[in-house]
Amino acid sequence: MKVEISRRRFLQGSVAMSIVGASAVSATNIFASEHDSKKHVVGIPDTITTKTSTGKAEEVPFLCAICVNKCAGFARVEDGIITKLDPNPYFPKSRNMLCARGNAGIQTLYDPDRLKYPLVRIGERGDGKYKRVSWEEAYNAILNGTDKFKGILQILDEEKDNRSTIGYCNGEGLSKEGFEVLMGEKIGTPNYVDEISICLETVLGGFFSTWGTYGEADLNNADYLVIAGANRAEAIITPDTLDLFKRSKGRGLKTIVLDPRFTNTAIKADRWLAVNPGTDLAFVLAMTYVVFKEELYNKEFAKKHMEGIEEYKQHILSHNYTPEWAEKLTNISAKNIYKTAREFMAARSPIYYQGRRSVFSNNDFQLRRAMAIFQGLSGNMDKKGGIIYGEKLPLPKEDINAPIYGQALSRFDGKGIAIPSQKTGSWIQFRNMILEGTTPYPVRAMFMRKHNPMAGVPNTKKTEAFLKKMDLNVMIDILPSDTTMFCDVILPEASYLERTSPVASYGALEPAIVLRKAAVKPLYETKVPEQIYKELAEKLSKPLWENTLKYDEDVQDDTEGMSKKELAEYYKENGYDLAEPWEKSVTEQNEEKIVSTYGEKAWEILNERGVYYPHIEEYHKQININESEYYPENKKKYTTQGDKLKVKCNLTNLTKKGVDAMPTWSDDMQFKVPEGQFRLVTGRHAQFTQSGTTNNLMLRDLVPTNYLWINSRIAEEKNIAFGDTVEVKSSVGEVTIKAYPTEKIAPNQIFMLHGFGGSSAEMEIAHGNGANDAIIIEDKIEPVYGAAVMHDTNVEVRKV
Amino acid sequence: MARYGMALDYKNCINCKACEVACKEENGVELGAEKHRIWVGGNNPEGQWPLLDIASAAFLPSQCQQCDEAPCEEVCPTHATYYDENGVVRVDADKCILCSYCMNACPYDARYVDDRTMTVDKCTFCSDTRLARGETTTACQNTCPTKVRTFGDLDDPNSEISELLRTREHFSLKSHLGTNPKLFYLT
Repeated sequence: MKVEISRRRFLQGSVAMSIVGASAVSATNIFASEHDSKKHVVGIPDTITTKTSTGKAEEVPFLCAICVNKCAGFARVEDGIITKLDPNPYFPKSRNMLCARGNAGIQTLYDPDRLKYPLVRIGERGDGKYKRVSWEEAYNAILNGTDKFKGILQILDEEKDNRSTIGYCNGEGLSKEGFEVLMGEKIGTPNYVDEISICLETVLGGFFSTWGTYGEADLNNADYLVIAGANRAEAIITPDTLDLFKRSKGRGLKTIVLDPRFTNTAIKADRWLAVNPGTDLAFVLAMTYVVFKEELYNKEFAKKHMEGIEEYKQHILSHNYTPEWAEKLTNISAKNIYKTAREFMAARSPIYYQGRRSVFSNNDFQLRRAMAIFQGLSGNMDKKGGIIYGEKLPLPKEDINAPIYGQALSRFDGKGIAIPSQKTGSWIQFRNMILEGTTPYPVRAMFMRKHNPMAGVPNTKKTEAFLKKMDLNVMIDILPSDTTMFCDVILPEASYLERTSPVASYGALEPAIVLRKAAVKPLYETKVPEQIYKELAEKLSKPLWENTLKYDEDVQDDTEGMSKKELAEYYKENGYDLAEPWEKSVTEQNEEKIVSTYGEKAWEILNERGVYYPHIEEYHKQININESEYYPENKKKYTTQGDKLKVKCNLTNLTKKGVDAMPTWSDDMQFKVPEGQFRLVTGRHAQFTQSGTTNNLMLRDLVPTNYLWINSRIAEEKNIAFGDTVEVKSSVGEVTIKAYPTEKIAPNQIFMLHGFGGSSAEMEIAHGNGANDAIIIEDKIEPVYGAAVMHDTNVEVRKV
Repeated sequence: MARYGMALDYKNCINCKACEVACKEENGVELGAEKHRIWVGGNNPEGQWPLLDIASAAFLPSQCQQCDEAPCEEVCPTHATYYDENGVVRVDADKCILCSYCMNACPYDARYVDDRTMTVDKCTFCSDTRLARGETTTACQNTCPTKVRTFGDLDDPNSEISELLRTREHFSLKSHLGTNPKLFYLT
């Protein structure tokens, strides 16, 4: 007896939300899948999970995109359907593994809620009324608008060809660069925002400005680790997570975890220090004090490589950053600070882990600087067991013929920010200035791809108002996200298992080049991003050029008296032909890049294994049933810097920008929560990435919703039990969420997983499930880059 | 003919659930919290914040223990549960009458009802998927980020699992019951 449960039926049977979802959608639901009924659809499996067969199958190398790590795998394809994703043993970065999300990528590919056809809005923004159109009609709607919204041509005409009236945003991924080329270099707007300013901008900035790199921690060979605020057991980073937990728990890598919460990483610690949110800087300064006071640092290394070390020593000692001082601020005992500092400097290969993560506090840039300098004091840099600079295998860069638009004005969101990023800006400041009407010119259109600011940028109310203020919103994505539902034209993209992507190179200790190949053809009417860029460029190119000719005096001067033929040549030669970067397919471009740099054989190996590096056939050896050696020990890039290595303690140039030249504590950095309130901390776990994975059936099966962690003693006082619905309210919004009383969090703090609580009714599983933290996180920015500060919001909690 | 077993370097486990998903996708296991062949056990830490007992919160990855003396096989009235030629405890879907004796008998809570086949199903060491294709690893082992599992032939003295069991201390779950599990936890 066999009872088949179709994907859609499963939803109806088991998800209470789906009823709400279904009724909210009109009878002509153009988002709904074609396979509502039990009938078989070619290219889509009949059941949610598909048992792999013993018959013939193709194994196609792919590169995972369910998070940012880019783990390599092989897709098992049986009769045009992917039945399983397996890890790729050849890639040194992901070391023959796929995590829960990587395995569940199949469910994103076959998600019944996927965007399937181009859509054009026919209702009001946010009401979910759309019309299915052809690609041609969708491109035309972007160019010329409809009776519901203006097209880009009219907007640019009204703005006299000021290209900067267009904003654009894009999430991380291998096709991101192409979108930047289209919008930034070819169409010519500087107004770009992406994930950097709502993620790790200060982390990168702090380490780069101090070490000249972010580096890679050699956790295979380190023997002492301080890991602060980076939850590697739950926010998986490859290869760090893979290496770290094979050696913690008394097996060679002594691990000290600092985190306000008792995380899965804390479970693996030798010591867990429950630091107050935002006070890590005081901890590092106090450890530095101990090291200087007791002269524990590597003086030879400091003399040779650490610029400004004497000033820094003087700075730390004169400020009296003692462990006793830090104890009151951090909630970490002076005894533990002394102990950790001394152990660190006595260890053979100690690492203060850089800790890739979002910006949590206002002082994050200075925290990163202090951490980087502290690591320098150990001298454990550019060598085995330390911070590795490594190498990257080069790939040829494409030359982009970028046109010049005389009418385009410069970006504006750097106002009041010390070192604003000219490329990726500040999401919060960009949005808020537009919303407040304080920009020097109007921004009237947003072109978006694979990005969901409704869930990612703090203060969702403002993001919604921002999207509503636009004359034109365009989205290229896979799923109908919360942000997608405020767009006028929606272009459905092929998922990462349906597309071949530009080759990528991943560097450091064991560098390699990786290739993502399409495992199956794009489903429905979806298209690969590079094809969308090309077709959109072709559609816009000539009409926008005409607009430039109409308003741009420089171009008018240049082209005065030109014949038709000469004008056509000018257009081509000066880069106004927008589609020119996509004349060749992605595969052709990949082949050219690899063959010209590494030869024919390399291209063959890359296609077969999905991974290439020089001598891979000779170097790669399976050392046991689970693990491989990628490079022989003497070929690993442990040491690449030599005398070039510099650790910059005193960045005097920063003072000109109003930033401390050396990490300094100030009183306003204290952790303070008013009586009766809580500090909100957010984070991730290993079964979800961001809002993009909350509609994944398999992952939802593992973690049905997000809960509010609240200290169990406080919960008892407030009569809150497990599963009770509570309201969490900040100055910018409120959400309801189910409670999880636990001792794993402090009495004055609460925690919720990021990425839940979707508002898009078209994502049946994500819709209304749990709470969206972005609704309640206050939109504050740190002063150095204008990056969003995620852990600086106090909230009230009450049972409802 | 082999005698398959598995060694688990369980201290590596971070409870990421990659193994659970790989198992479900490979073997076409149903969704649903109760429908699992493999899982990770864990406890809330003892103590009060911030003085929590780290050791009390360890993770214990688990699945069918593939007992040499399997209680589920003993109690099965229709011989639906049987040992295959490699010593793997398997289920014959045609013979299973859903009496659920096996579910009660299993001391490890490793059996569940598959609503589609109406069988009390369980971990098969991927015998009818990966092993049947000639592969030498199970899905859970292969995908694991921290490489908890080593699967192999206990009768082959040169296998990696045999070597691990010779050189590393290990224990079995509920060994006092005399079930002789072929899953070994490395310390």
